Amino acid sequence: MIKRIPLAWLNLTHDRRRFATSLAGVGFAVLLMFMFNGFMNALYDSQLQLLNRFNGEIIIVNRLRTNMFVPRAFARRRLYQARAFDGVQDAYAMYISEVNWKNPETRKSRGVRVIAINPDEPVLSIPEIETYRQLLKLPETALMDTKSRVEVGPVEPGIISELADRRIRLVGTFTMGTDFASGNGNLLMSDQNFLRYFADRGPEEDKRSFATVDIGVVKLEPGTNVERMVNVLRENLPNDVLVMARDGDNGFVIRERNYWQENTNIGFVFSLLTSMGFFVGIILVYQILYTDVADHWAEYATLKAMGYKNGYLLGVVMQEAMILSVLGFIPGVLVSQLLYTAAGNATGLFFQMTPERIVNLLIATFIMCLVSGAIAVRKVQTTDPADVFLTLTQVLSQVSS
Amino acid sequence: MSKTQPQSTFDPPRDDLAVHIQHLNYFFGAGDLSKQVLFDISLDLPRGQIVILTGPSGSGKTTLLTLAGALRRLQDGSLRVLGKELVGLGDRALVNVRRNIGFIFQAHNLFESLTASQNVEMAVELTGNFSSKRDQAVAMLSALGLADRVDYKPQSLSGGQKQRVAIARALVNHPQLVLADEPTAALDKKSGRDVVTYLHNLSRQEGCTVLMVTHDNRILDVADRIINLVDGRLESDSTPNAFVHSKTQEAIAEVSADMFIM
Repeated sequence: MIKRIPLAWLNLTHDRRRFATSLAGVGFAVLLMFMFNGFMNALYDSQLQLLNRFNGEIIIVNRLRTNMFVPRAFARRRLYQARAFDGVQDAYAMYISEVNWKNPETRKSRGVRVIAINPDEPVLSIPEIETYRQLLKLPETALMDTKSRVEVGPVEPGIISELADRRIRLVGTFTMGTDFASGNGNLLMSDQNFLRYFADRGPEEDKRSFATVDIGVVKLEPGTNVERMVNVLRENLPNDVLVMARDGDNGFVIRERNYWQENTNIGFVFSLLTSMGFFVGIILVYQILYTDVADHWAEYATLKAMGYKNGYLLGVVMQEAMILSVLGFIPGVLVSQLLYTAAGNATGLFFQMTPERIVNLLIATFIMCLVSGAIAVRKVQTTDPADVFLTLTQVLSQVSS
Repeated sequence: MSKTQPQSTFDPPRDDLAVHIQHLNYFFGAGDLSKQVLFDISLDLPRGQIVILTGPSGSGKTTLLTLAGALRRLQDGSLRVLGKELVGLGDRALVNVRRNIGFIFQAHNLFESLTASQNVEMAVELTGNFSSKRDQAVAMLSALGLADRVDYKPQSLSGGQKQRVAIARALVNHPQLVLADEPTAALDKKSGRDVVTYLHNLSRQEGCTVLMVTHDNRILDVADRIINLVDGRLESDSTPNAFVHSKTQEAIAEVSADMFIM
């Protein structure tokens, strides 16, 4: 059995305090990458929170609605037409509007997004709708998103405030989260109440009615081929509406994500910040490894004189790099997890740490440490062991004399 | 001035010599900046001898030692170590030669993170004897009187003990040639004496050749030969007694009445 002395591990861990500091350094670099990457993903993922709750396989929107921000509605007739096709179980209407909500405590008005549905139809996968169905049917009632920003004031049942300058009562809450189009929060109400608030808001505003719908959610019979059904609806419905599958590469959800990726600087800014974290990490780890090499200069040189090849020393430094990357990653992930929760609570954005993202950053950390190791090891490699001894002997003879 | 013998003659290799140096020249640097540090050195070290290399600072002692230790590439002359010609060898071949040589340095150069035994085992691992490395290391440390310090780390060992661990590391693979650079310089008188005595005994038992650079007059008596190097040239090659005698004479001559008359 071949059991080498684990020189890399022993050298790293010999000085406990320095080892802890080193791991904290790597962990910090990992944390930076996680936070910047996390914010980027959170901004994208948050846009999809409402979309992922649509309870249907096919989505129908106005052709001009390139993203959720565009307030373009389409004729409700299209949904009735869609229902006529074999394989379509039902087609639900969803009404969306932006309007001011008055914070009951500060009396300041803030824009919120109102989402209206027929409470008797399973349009959205939000269990609270079922819970509060009867209350939602009462006039001037609504549910408020608990992840709304703090500016909207307290979010709890029983709050009475004003929506579009009209009295409203919160009968319950649900949990979803904000996105770019939602303003300060989400309010969920019945379609009947929607008419009460938005049918006639004055001469300047659009008059809403049941004749137009913002988003159509088509529920298919179980076992129906979604792609085929999308094609059938596309061919048969007039061109004013866009028919898309909800999921899939050409789906509605991906389209929304792509819109924000292609039309904002989020990706560029946060990728830049993430790579800055990466380079900070390279410098940190290089510093750690270089200090180790410099401190053990004479010992490593002795190994070379004894007959160890450059490859062995390279291996030791690389092993140290890998130990640092793996062990530094763990505290980095754990602290990031805490900060994700904190940031999610503070912003209402949707921070999620998926296994894929963790693996990606682990690989990045790995590369980070290997690059640092490769730079640090060059010094050991290119030096003639005899030169090291000569310098060392001279230095020591000066010290001792 | 450097190439004094354009037609250098080289003797054939001899098995009874551990180190066989003929007409060796060595330069630091290259091109216009090159500076010659060793001039036409010819030197034979028979097997089993303890040879002390001495001379003033900058005379090229350590350079000669590193050349004999296959730590530098050589271009000119002939340097045979344990029957292997080093002149013209590449880095990889030099590494293999080094494995047959034990090095002892002024500083112990032990890994603080490893125990005494592990430091010695690092040398054994080079031979591939992974199963017996611990036994070999403990045996060698015991031979040097460190049986009860096997699992101590260097920071809990005295200076002399650390140097003995370093010696154990140099000798554990039973090298036929030991090169020592000021092994006693960092030690007090007694530890220095002990180290030299161990080196002497082990060399007699193992029959290995020891080439030692030192300024330490207290240990000259262990040597079979003393070689004096001045300005990169061999100045004298004599027995310890003759060397001490000549040095004393010189000293007396130097402290002559002339300097007071001035």
